[in-house]
Amino acid sequence: MAIAEAFTPTPTPVVPGRSRWGRTGRSPHARLDLLSAGLLGLVTLVALAAPVLAPHGPLDPVGMPSAPPGTSGFLLGSDSVGRDILSRVLYGLRSSWLAALAVVAVGALLGGLVGLVAGAAGGWVDNLLMRITDGFLALPAPVLAIAVVAALGPSLLNTLVAVSIVWWPFYARIVRGEVRTLAARPHVEAARLAGAGPVRVALRHLLPGAVPAVVVTASLDIGALVLTLAGLSFLGLGQSAPAPELGADAARNLSYLLQDWWIPVMPGLAVALLSLVANVAGDGVRNLMAGR
Amino acid sequence: MTAAPVRAAAGAVSGGLVAEVTNLHVGFTRSGRRIEAVRGLDLEIRAAEVLGLVGESGSGKSVLSLALLGLLPESSQPRTSGVVRVAGTDMLTASPQVRRQVRKDALGAVFQDPMTSLNPTMRIGRQVAEAAGSGTEALRLLRAVGIPEPERRLDSFPHELSGGLRQRVMIAMAVAGDPALVVADEPTTALDVTVQAQVLALLRRLRDDVGCSVLLITHDLGVAAQVADRVAVMYAGRIAEIGPTPTVLRAPMHPYTTGLMRSRLSLTTERDRPVETLEGGPPDPSAPLPGCAYAPRCPLVMEECREVLPDPEPAVGHDDHLRACLADSSRVVELAAPPRRADVLPSPREAARPGEPGLAARVSGVEKTFRVRAGRGRKARLAALRRVSLDVRPGESVAIVGESGSGKSTLLRVLAGLETHERGDVTLGGSTRPQMVFQDAGASLTPWLTVGDLLDERLRTERRPGGGKLQKGERRQRAAAALERVGLPAAVYDARASELSGGQRQRVALARAVVVPPDVLLCDEPTSALDVSLAATVLNLVQSLRHELGMAVLFVTHDLSVARVVADRIAVMYLGRLVELGDAVELIRAPKHPYTKALLAAVPDFGVAPPQLKGEPASPLSPPTGCAFHPRCPLATPDCADPGLDVPLERLRHGAELLADGDERRVACIRPKEL
Repeated sequence: MAIAEAFTPTPTPVVPGRSRWGRTGRSPHARLDLLSAGLLGLVTLVALAAPVLAPHGPLDPVGMPSAPPGTSGFLLGSDSVGRDILSRVLYGLRSSWLAALAVVAVGALLGGLVGLVAGAAGGWVDNLLMRITDGFLALPAPVLAIAVVAALGPSLLNTLVAVSIVWWPFYARIVRGEVRTLAARPHVEAARLAGAGPVRVALRHLLPGAVPAVVVTASLDIGALVLTLAGLSFLGLGQSAPAPELGADAARNLSYLLQDWWIPVMPGLAVALLSLVANVAGDGVRNLMAGR
Repeated sequence: MTAAPVRAAAGAVSGGLVAEVTNLHVGFTRSGRRIEAVRGLDLEIRAAEVLGLVGESGSGKSVLSLALLGLLPESSQPRTSGVVRVAGTDMLTASPQVRRQVRKDALGAVFQDPMTSLNPTMRIGRQVAEAAGSGTEALRLLRAVGIPEPERRLDSFPHELSGGLRQRVMIAMAVAGDPALVVADEPTTALDVTVQAQVLALLRRLRDDVGCSVLLITHDLGVAAQVADRVAVMYAGRIAEIGPTPTVLRAPMHPYTTGLMRSRLSLTTERDRPVETLEGGPPDPSAPLPGCAYAPRCPLVMEECREVLPDPEPAVGHDDHLRACLADSSRVVELAAPPRRADVLPSPREAARPGEPGLAARVSGVEKTFRVRAGRGRKARLAALRRVSLDVRPGESVAIVGESGSGKSTLLRVLAGLETHERGDVTLGGSTRPQMVFQDAGASLTPWLTVGDLLDERLRTERRPGGGKLQKGERRQRAAAALERVGLPAAVYDARASELSGGQRQRVALARAVVVPPDVLLCDEPTSALDVSLAATVLNLVQSLRHELGMAVLFVTHDLSVARVVADRIAVMYLGRLVELGDAVELIRAPKHPYTKALLAAVPDFGVAPPQLKGEPASPLSPPTGCAFHPRCPLATPDCADPGLDVPLERLRHGAELLADGDERRVACIRPKEL
């Protein structure tokens, strides 16, 4: 209404504007957001470089058992069989982080495709796809994971499959919603009049509009996924015993909590830190996308 | 309409001021840019006057109204200086509690869109009672603002009322408690012309009955001319000119006012040459000029205009008529009556292109019904088009005129192939698909694609005369040529819609429509969202493109003065039917159908307030039986309501000798003899 109108400056002709789609200028806020969003890249880099960064092999007993943090050569201490906790945490971070990225990627791709088709086609296609999506949304994640692991045996891949099955419907709903909104805009009709076919309309005139919402959801989801995956491996539904995994390491060593607290706490802290970083970064991405 | 007095006893209104704005500056920060919205403004609002505040978008008129109401949004971090005194209180420095008390006691507000200003979850009666203090007072106010059956309306929700009734409810709330000043910000912009005339008359009557002052903010000089006692013209956050309405309109003393008046379309604008335009655009509010803000566009600009900021000074011989211009007033007067320009439009290519049938488009007996939800799970059928027939010749321009719900846009969409019709035939004569220009050009451009992408897409499906696809270089060349044709700089090729101004967006939309010249160009109110000066530019562009490319143009508009300028023929629609069709000039000169007559009379112009058409357009969900216009028609007889009646559009034979030669007027009325 009038208030909004009065405070919306008229765009100055062909000047870089600050808008969702235009080139964005840099304000102090934007710089902070960019920094937070950059954390995603940083953590990914650490995850990829874990074999280089880790001082020892994650499975090798290399020192005194149960050395406290700060012992020379063992920044975070060593566990009950003398393995370097820092190395195990770095490798665990690598598998948690990359697994979370994989689930997000699968969810965004599969869900995005279903959502795009449903939203762009509308009508009975939309109804059918969305009811199927609802069916998947109704599956309880941990129970499904237990069922998959029980059927196929415990492994990281099986856990990822189970989590992906329950994760993609969220993306389908988001993309479908965005696409439905965009499809009601005149620009889609204008594109059709300009001779664009249904596939072209979907890919060029609808899909890019849903990308910001997906990117924001995905970046906020990484934190939740790190926790979910750690939780599942805590329950023994992840990789099997000697493999380094944050959730499993915390769970298996829980009995040491009173004597050698660092053995379960360090991987637990790593999970908390990882999910915190992912959330801060996700907020940064969201603010950047909103063009604050 | 009931004409009960708004206030039992008109309060004593003495001379004096209800509001006084002194040297007001308002600036705010928007995405890191400092915007100077109001830059040193003095304004007095006298007791019991209607002051019309006219300005284009971005002139700061809405910011001024918010400052008067003490409602400058904190979130925009406004920086203010100066004094805004309302009822003895400075609305800039007073505490929020004091400002609220002033708003309650002395102010009322009416905004453009009553749907968003009214609470959708509250019944009308409770909302008005909240402002009025009691239910009986609310009922009295609703009756006073001319709401039919007010007792029944008390229990309605806002969405159950028509736009005109909602605006009346807003006005009832605004005048509750006998305010000294009612601020009305574009109160009629969202309304149909016939309803606009009623609401303007209501505002005028309130002033007479209640004795309150009204600040009427509008972008349309014609609206201000109808009801305002004084007119203030705003430009770039300052008053350009202020004075008694007749004086300002008869002898404008500021080049901007002159320009506004000359670019404004009326029913007497010349048709055979381009509409006058104001060159250039409004100034950048983040970089105010040291001198007169209008200097870059002013035909009378002098060296000192760029350095000295002119203050409003009394014009020669008029104490009450102030103007902020350094140029000699005699030069401004000369500007108002310019010598006739020689740039006559070329006549359109008359003959159809070889090998083509004689029609660009033919619509015959088309019906279109939408199935809509009518609330509470009920389904209803909305008859958007009811047996519409229309022939468009190649190269011809036809304007389709009507109020909201008349089906004019649906007709265009059926022609474009965006809607399917149930009955009747649509035949397109040419080999190309019709192209369309939408009302909201910004929304019709895909936000993340560049102008180049959009033009390129249109060219991808184009084949060379030989049959091959266009190469990338050729497409780029054709796109650049299209941009040049609509008068845009080549740099626009790489821009996105958000980086363009409103006028530029509409030009891009036109370039996209004609980059492959279509046989039929469909325009859906392309100028209604634009400022006066921009609208004129776009109309000229549509005209020149049509002449250059020999396209037939179908131009949907609610504005008869626009229709008259762009069209060879005008088709008038009411509730899904064509009611009159004829030569543009002749139809305006001698309208036959009672509805056309009423539409014409409602066009706000510089003359006196016209007689009004009663009622509002009926809902297309339940159109009246027989002739849909009969409930509002001054000539209606009981026969007109006969459910079995079908009123076709027929060649007017009786009284046809009064029409000019070649005017094949068609009218839908069962009693053509009386027209």
